[in-house]
Amino acid sequence: MPAQRPLELILARNLLTSISTPAFLVDETGSLVFYNEAAGALLGRPFEDVGRMTPEQWTATYGPFGEDGRPFGLDELTTTEAIRKGRAAHAVFRIRSSRGAEHVIESSAFPIVASEEGSSGAMIFFWPLENNGSGADG
Amino acid sequence: MRLKVWGARGSVPAPGPEMNRYGGNTSCVQLNFGNGEELILDAGTGIRTLGLDLVSSPRVNILLTHLHLDHIQGLMFFPPCFRADAEITVWGPASPEASLEDRIARYISAPLSPVEVRELPCSVSFRETPPIEWQLGSVTIRCEAINHRGPTLGFRITDGETTVCYIPDHEPALGTVLDEVEPEWISGHELALDADILIHDCQYTDEEYPAHVGWGHSAMSDTLAFASRVRARRLLLFHHDPLHADRFLDGLHAAARRRWGELGGDPTAVEMGIEGAELEVPPAHAGVTAPA
Repeated sequence: MPAQRPLELILARNLLTSISTPAFLVDETGSLVFYNEAAGALLGRPFEDVGRMTPEQWTATYGPFGEDGRPFGLDELTTTEAIRKGRAAHAVFRIRSSRGAEHVIESSAFPIVASEEGSSGAMIFFWPLENNGSGADG
Repeated sequence: MRLKVWGARGSVPAPGPEMNRYGGNTSCVQLNFGNGEELILDAGTGIRTLGLDLVSSPRVNILLTHLHLDHIQGLMFFPPCFRADAEITVWGPASPEASLEDRIARYISAPLSPVEVRELPCSVSFRETPPIEWQLGSVTIRCEAINHRGPTLGFRITDGETTVCYIPDHEPALGTVLDEVEPEWISGHELALDADILIHDCQYTDEEYPAHVGWGHSAMSDTLAFASRVRARRLLLFHHDPLHADRFLDGLHAAARRRWGELGGDPTAVEMGIEGAELEVPPAHAGVTAPA
């Protein structure tokens, strides 16, 4: 059985479950531990189908990518900045859904800090800016 | 291990003839271990009568789940506080705002109190609970932050092969469905897993709960769902709403036992927190069935 999640991550997941803004939840290692239904609609698959993913796995699957299609390095991610520095981070980039559709995304990552020991994770909210014409996901 | 309930009421003391059987004092539970050691869980108004009963135990450890008034109100009226030979250690949750002592001193100080903490004749110390488990004598204590309003802990207390889990104020179903979510995403799950007895919040009926979502307390069905998910062997329903008189609580108890049976458990494993009740807590495998 996986270890108990810290309370602040549990509450964050419960919050994301309840809102219609697409959002990710990552743990202190940057692993994707949850995304909500709105994010699932954007990405083409519900979280229940993919489960927990390491940073390498979820960035390889969904991005983000720059304007030139180059994948962002882990150090460039807003999530990494939020977790390492304990500060909000903001960026615009492209992501790719499981069906191949690309979306330009405005993203804000917020660290979840409950103790002096540092972040237990981060919440990342997405706002699709446009669709590049390759087709929206259902 | 023996357990005695000195107060099972939630929110505010609720005295009155219609409350006589379940009692009106707020949260306080005493644990006695085989070697003569003991622990006090919370300092609601029930701790006052507990203190009258303590004639030869000047060394006292009190574990506070949180600092809401119904969990600390009795502290100022706890007789050992006024004994010079008493050594009292109060454990409670840390907060980024102020030390445990400073936060409790807001209550034990003017204008709310005629005495200040520094004036108490006893030797009293305030210790923020460690983030990991720790030992008090032969007993292992673990605490975890759980879902309530403000910094709040649940406690898991193990003596030998016997484990008690105490989570008197808890709303694990807030924003989630306990029957569906993975265990690692349930507040308090690891803390309560396989406890020999789980003392848990059951402030509301299912009908009352919708008007109290987010207040930090549980509906009966959610309490039972949580107890089922953690495979509690016995369940003590606790933190009774101050509006719930004896006859009402009898009905809630009967409904909870029926529901536990429907879940596949032994209905007699669901008990009510009753002021003055003493329970022997045998270790695991005592033959009581938790729902599968």
